[in-house]
Amino acid sequence: MKYSEYDIVDFLMDEFFIQWIKNPNQNNCHFWEKWIRENPDKRAIVLKAASLIRSVKYREEPEIGNAAYVEIFENSIKSDNDNCEDTSAKEKSLPFFKFKNMVALILFGFCASMIYVQIFYEAGTVASSEINEEWITRAVPKGKKSIVTLSDGTRVFLNAESELTYPKNHSGEQRWAKLKGEAFFEVKKDPKRFRVLTKGSEIDVLGTSFNVKEEGQGLEIALVSGKVRVRNSQGNQVELAPLEMVKVDASGISEKRGFDLLAITGWKDRILVFQSDNLEQVVGKLEKWYGIDLVFSGKVSDHWNYSGTYHNENLENVLKGISLTSGLRYRIEENRVLLYNDNQ
Amino acid sequence: MKPTSKEASGRELPFSSFPHSEPIHHFHTKTDEEIWMALNAGSELAFNYLYRIHIGLMFRYGCQISTDKGLVKDCIQNVFIQLRKKRGDLTNVKNCKAYLFTCLKNEIRKKIRESNRVYVGVKEEEGFPISLSHEAILIQKEQECEKVQQVQEALNQLTTRQRQALLLLYVEGMSYQEIAQAMDFNEVKSARKLVYRALSSIRVLLKK
Repeated sequence: MKYSEYDIVDFLMDEFFIQWIKNPNQNNCHFWEKWIRENPDKRAIVLKAASLIRSVKYREEPEIGNAAYVEIFENSIKSDNDNCEDTSAKEKSLPFFKFKNMVALILFGFCASMIYVQIFYEAGTVASSEINEEWITRAVPKGKKSIVTLSDGTRVFLNAESELTYPKNHSGEQRWAKLKGEAFFEVKKDPKRFRVLTKGSEIDVLGTSFNVKEEGQGLEIALVSGKVRVRNSQGNQVELAPLEMVKVDASGISEKRGFDLLAITGWKDRILVFQSDNLEQVVGKLEKWYGIDLVFSGKVSDHWNYSGTYHNENLENVLKGISLTSGLRYRIEENRVLLYNDNQ
Repeated sequence: MKPTSKEASGRELPFSSFPHSEPIHHFHTKTDEEIWMALNAGSELAFNYLYRIHIGLMFRYGCQISTDKGLVKDCIQNVFIQLRKKRGDLTNVKNCKAYLFTCLKNEIRKKIRESNRVYVGVKEEEGFPISLSHEAILIQKEQECEKVQQVQEALNQLTTRQRQALLLLYVEGMSYQEIAQAMDFNEVKSARKLVYRALSSIRVLLKK
């Protein structure tokens, strides 16, 4: 059967169609965008099918929790020793560090919680959105940043390890973009609502500038200009004024607090900011900013922290700066950077 | 210093304090078959990677079969322990997720059979409940909310296996082949038929 003869059940059955909705990539986008243009009479049915596929969820989405995550891993590894006579000491020295870092990373993966965030610039009705238009996806790897200008004039600064999907032309009733990671939005003022879709959350605005960052299990929203209202699934809401930020996650909305403009949004102007960051934070920022792998060996005190600001500097200069004030030393190798101290 | 991406050698840095960056670099671009072979050859990185990618999904999946979270956790642990024990003799696996889901389901069923205690689990017909997401409901106009509600109710009137297949298809992103594997069908077309019957039975509602 040809796609032009498909009814809604056929679309809902079709692996290639489902793949396009769930995991759009160049190949399937290319095909389906063309197909919809050729078959405008099928548009409504395609939208219905797409909306259903997208919205089906497990009703129960329990999370494994950090304690169980670590425990099951440890027990699985330990079980080797019960049965094998030969276990090398090499692997045993690793787990503690591995767990700590893996837990931090994994948080993203397991925040299946239903968070709902809405930011209203003004009160208004929620317009129905046309989701299937021509899509473009821009992914920014570690070590890079990017600026995207959308067809309505909205500018989006994309940080490293982030991804933005948006329609080529905002022809529908609503403007939208889908974000993974971190971005700074300068939304062009327009009577049409602009919607930012993130993992489990939505942000609606008309014209304002703000920073959105996936952080742990939640979302950090920092408002630079305009006025917004943040609302989560339980109906709690709070109004933000410029230079106020909140964190929203499954448990609710945090207290409003002020923020340092440079620390939150400096990245979009290529300013790398450390603010009393501990070693792990410093290493994480460097890896993300320069797209490198950084290895630390040695020990620092629990109170170790580092503050500094670098505007458009190269890696070596930043490392120099850090080593000057912190006493740490560094060595740049072929494909990684070593950070160490002498008194180990 | 130019940031070079890590080549896909099996290199391990035994004393690295930040090993989390390693497995991701290594395995993101590899096929399931390659990862499975690395696991079989004893690679700890491959084990880490499989564990990290799948444990959350396995827990969510297991909790559809049994609401006893402790039991699900025990079963997940057994699956991974067995996996480690069998390294060196593992058969080829083309899709890690479908394989791990099958192992977990079998383990949970086995535990339920073996346990003499009064078992607190899902009744078979109540497993794999579906809900339609907030997103979908909110983008609809007021008058359409009711329709979404109807579809949701209709989905939950389907058989458990029909719901399971729909969730594997739409949420887990599995192909019919993988669904057939995860649900113990010998033929791929059986998985297809199951989905077809489910959707056909609510066709009228879907078209509205």
